[in-house]
Amino acid sequence: MVSQDKKQILISPVTRIEGHAKITIQLDDQGEVSNALFHVNEFRGFEKFCEGRMYTEMPIITPRICGICPISHSIASVKACEMIQGLQPAYTGNLLRKLIHIGQNISSHALSFFHLSSPDFLLGYDSDPAARNIIGLAGKFPDIALRGIRLRKFGQEISERITGKKIHIAGIAPGGMAFPLTEANRQALLAWIPEALETVQMGIGIIKKFHEENEELVNSFATSPTLYLGTVGPDGQHELYDGKLRFVNSEGVILQDQIEPARYLDFIAERSVSWSYLKYPYYKPLGFDAGFYRVGPLARLNVATRMNNPLSSEEFRKFKALGDGKPVHGTFFYHYARLIETLSSIEEAEKILNDPEVTSKNIQTQGRWNYNEGIGSSEAPRGTLFHHYKTDETGKLTHVNLLIATGQNNPSMNRSITEVAKQYVHGSDIKEGMLNRVESTIRCYDPCLSCSTHAIGKMPLKLELYNHDGELIREHFEN
Amino acid sequence: MRTDQKILLIGIGNNCRGDDGLGWKFVELVESMGLDFINHEYRYQLQVEDAALISEYDVVYFVDASYEKMDTGFELRPCIASDEEQVSSHAQSPGAILKLANNLYKKFPEAYVLAIGGESWELQTSLSEVAERNLVEATSFFAELFFETEVAETVFNG
Repeated sequence: MVSQDKKQILISPVTRIEGHAKITIQLDDQGEVSNALFHVNEFRGFEKFCEGRMYTEMPIITPRICGICPISHSIASVKACEMIQGLQPAYTGNLLRKLIHIGQNISSHALSFFHLSSPDFLLGYDSDPAARNIIGLAGKFPDIALRGIRLRKFGQEISERITGKKIHIAGIAPGGMAFPLTEANRQALLAWIPEALETVQMGIGIIKKFHEENEELVNSFATSPTLYLGTVGPDGQHELYDGKLRFVNSEGVILQDQIEPARYLDFIAERSVSWSYLKYPYYKPLGFDAGFYRVGPLARLNVATRMNNPLSSEEFRKFKALGDGKPVHGTFFYHYARLIETLSSIEEAEKILNDPEVTSKNIQTQGRWNYNEGIGSSEAPRGTLFHHYKTDETGKLTHVNLLIATGQNNPSMNRSITEVAKQYVHGSDIKEGMLNRVESTIRCYDPCLSCSTHAIGKMPLKLELYNHDGELIREHFEN
Repeated sequence: MRTDQKILLIGIGNNCRGDDGLGWKFVELVESMGLDFINHEYRYQLQVEDAALISEYDVVYFVDASYEKMDTGFELRPCIASDEEQVSSHAQSPGAILKLANNLYKKFPEAYVLAIGGESWELQTSLSEVAERNLVEATSFFAELFFETEVAETVFNG
């Protein structure tokens, strides 16, 4: 829906992102954009819901938060549980968890690029909005639509072949995994690798061609500098599953390195804002506003010193050259970064599947409650995810804090849409293509506001209208 | 109903969100009947790859909770392949999935949407009384499509 009056433009809901959201663009008296806000209408309340439950239930419950990245929640959760137990996971169990996590990353990134964003690249920002979607893409570029679907299937098949299920999987447990990988399933997954590599390289070709043909747009699209946060290995290598935290500033200077994820509250603070249920996290030492940072594929490549595998290392070198050694701030480059990560994930999956221990049946160590606090993290497709639990002495949860990736990108998403709206939205004759450019800014971040109900019928939708003084002048609920 | 057809039931929802778990609960109940000619899948939400999945079946039922008030507590409707509605990732509609299966895979399964009425969507793992009642009605109706009436009565009356 696009509603338009003299001073406000409302795009609601934002299409082709996970969950539900709306954008309000505020115009001044001259018809120029004065501000733009990204609103999240859902209040999840999962933390309160979990209090009073046993901490060991969390790796099963928390994947229900999200239909797109349930495994990242399960991994962060199980790490928090292992901290409570003082337990190290079994080598093979850990390897299988890493493999499942990689599968989810491939699947999520494939959806973001091939089905949500590529309609803009291949059909055009100004093309018919009724056909600028996956069905339109399937009509004009069926091979790309089919390949994207198969890449997603590969990612999901990793989970399925280890745990027996594609979604609401079981088996990720403190100490490792409950199910081993059979030799037949290992072989079946290895058989996917050549096609998966080819598909993601095709995607890289699409984005590079778009960059070449739209250089001005790409290089001027929401380029405000920010800080970046991501997980890295011991010598700064790109990491999705395990590792320590690294913050870099907008010039690429490392602010913090090799920080234990359990210390996240020493560096990250949050502030509530009036227009969104999502809080505004920021890098504590620099304070609110100056401490805005980004997470996710662009951030992970900006903080990393190197990749772990040959094909992705070559693309990483080209990515780094874009910033001349400094961070790449252009929001559009999230797409390129996402594809480089997908390439790396496929290479990593092949490496794990060729590890002689991957089919071992020694997959789980045992532990019990030992400590009353546990913190776990993982790099979800959209960025760094933290689970923080406190328990009483029976193991019942007394406090749960979940810091999700989309929340951490929230301040920057707002800044980015304001920047793009100011660049493309002018006067009273607002074309749909202009608004699509604003929406596509949000799609660069691929935010996940999911975890909501998806029943037939309309979701409850709250509309809030503010005047130029920031006063709420109208509220409207739809059901 | 022909049992020589390949039939798929897809339950859509989230069983941590109250009545949004109706789709899954329905599929669980049917699964427990042990009908080997019906396959079952559970989804938080439909996604593009489900087009590939349904293209392998003759008949597909999408089962989801509904906000709508229905006299019978549920409705079984034909699913129409649709390219008119806006397609968004987080809630691919059954019609959009069917359209993709038609376009990409040239497959045209017979498809239905089974909408079961709910009223509570808060964070909880149980269904509301209204949803429980509607679930029983919907499941009884569905069972009669597959069983002799006598068998259906045995299943639902113990």
